[in-house]
Amino acid sequence: MILDCLGKRCPLPIIELAAELKNLPIGSEVTLLSDDPASAPDLIAWARMTGNSVEQNDSSTYTIAKLAN
Amino acid sequence: MALPHIFEAAWPDPTKLGADSKSAALLLNEARETFAGHLGVRGDEINFLGEPNLGFHLGISGLMSPENRLVFSNIDRMEIFAISQNHPSLKLEASTSGIVDFANTEKQDVVCLQLCNRETGTIQTSSPKNVSGLFVDATASGTRIALPENWSTALWDSTSWAGPTGVGIFAVSKSADWKNPLPHLDGRINPGPTSLPLIVASALAIDSWVADEKNLAAKISKINSEIRNYIKANIPDSDLAPGGADHLLSASFLYVNAEQLVTALADKGYAVDSGSACNAANMQPSHVLAALGVLTQGNIRLTIHHATSFEEINEFLQILSQTVSELRDI
Repeated sequence: MILDCLGKRCPLPIIELAAELKNLPIGSEVTLLSDDPASAPDLIAWARMTGNSVEQNDSSTYTIAKLAN
Repeated sequence: MALPHIFEAAWPDPTKLGADSKSAALLLNEARETFAGHLGVRGDEINFLGEPNLGFHLGISGLMSPENRLVFSNIDRMEIFAISQNHPSLKLEASTSGIVDFANTEKQDVVCLQLCNRETGTIQTSSPKNVSGLFVDATASGTRIALPENWSTALWDSTSWAGPTGVGIFAVSKSADWKNPLPHLDGRINPGPTSLPLIVASALAIDSWVADEKNLAAKISKINSEIRNYIKANIPDSDLAPGGADHLLSASFLYVNAEQLVTALADKGYAVDSGSACNAANMQPSHVLAALGVLTQGNIRLTIHHATSFEEINEFLQILSQTVSELRDI
């Protein structure tokens, strides 16, 4: 699924991502669209803190895998 | 001496010949020797800057020749990033604990060494050897950390010893191969004049700062660990930046808007800074936090002052914890 957070400022993209993941089973993948300059560093920190994984595809596209609840 | 009295005594131009000017020149000399004693340099190596951050350009560009490469790190000040645009350069990456490895520097390098990071307090414990020049950024460490022996140029900011803003101390080592990068006709390093009353006020501040620091360093260190332990134990989804210097601490809270957090704390009487994008003029997150892999959202930076008490901190931590949880519920 695709979560479109283009134009939204920090911390909204990560709040919305976390809310979205809550309802998905472990192993699910989400594509996050975000052009906020804080998203690149913060998604990495978020993944480390929450035990999930993130990969940046281009300047505003990220693939997130839910690995933990 | 209170500030109005300093202005009374230090208004004349110390370079002129009148009697008032002579006493002003004495004040300037005394101040110079005070700083020299506390900062570990010679009095005649010291220059005063009315714009402290000009010292980054003076200190770095003055050491650069065409054959030199500028080596700096990704947690250095933005002023240094700007200067690096004019030179061949190498940007080193700090480890996630904030340590910069200077092992691969070369003879022709001019290296920037940040003794203490002003956002996180990270301290560099090793310094580069056998390089062409060494600029030391002591703006956040003040009197707390000594200069490495092979320093060439160094910069301090008066605010780091609770002195007035608008006073920088810039030192050029007698053994450095340094040329003034500013347009100049004589031996003066900066166009000046720098406010003598502020220099004198800063010299008084550094004297009392150093005296207090001896007695209060242990308290500040204890307050720092109390804050860290409390946040780790009581505020979930928090991320502490690697620390070092006891008076500084940076913490981030997931799913929290830093602007709302800083405003809420200000309303309750606590002045904290933030490295989050929403608090920055350019809307960019702190490059230091990003470089260290620390969460940049919901970030607060704390400076623990000499006067900070355990009671204040306990109350602050309760309010912080409550505010973070309220902001997450919105």
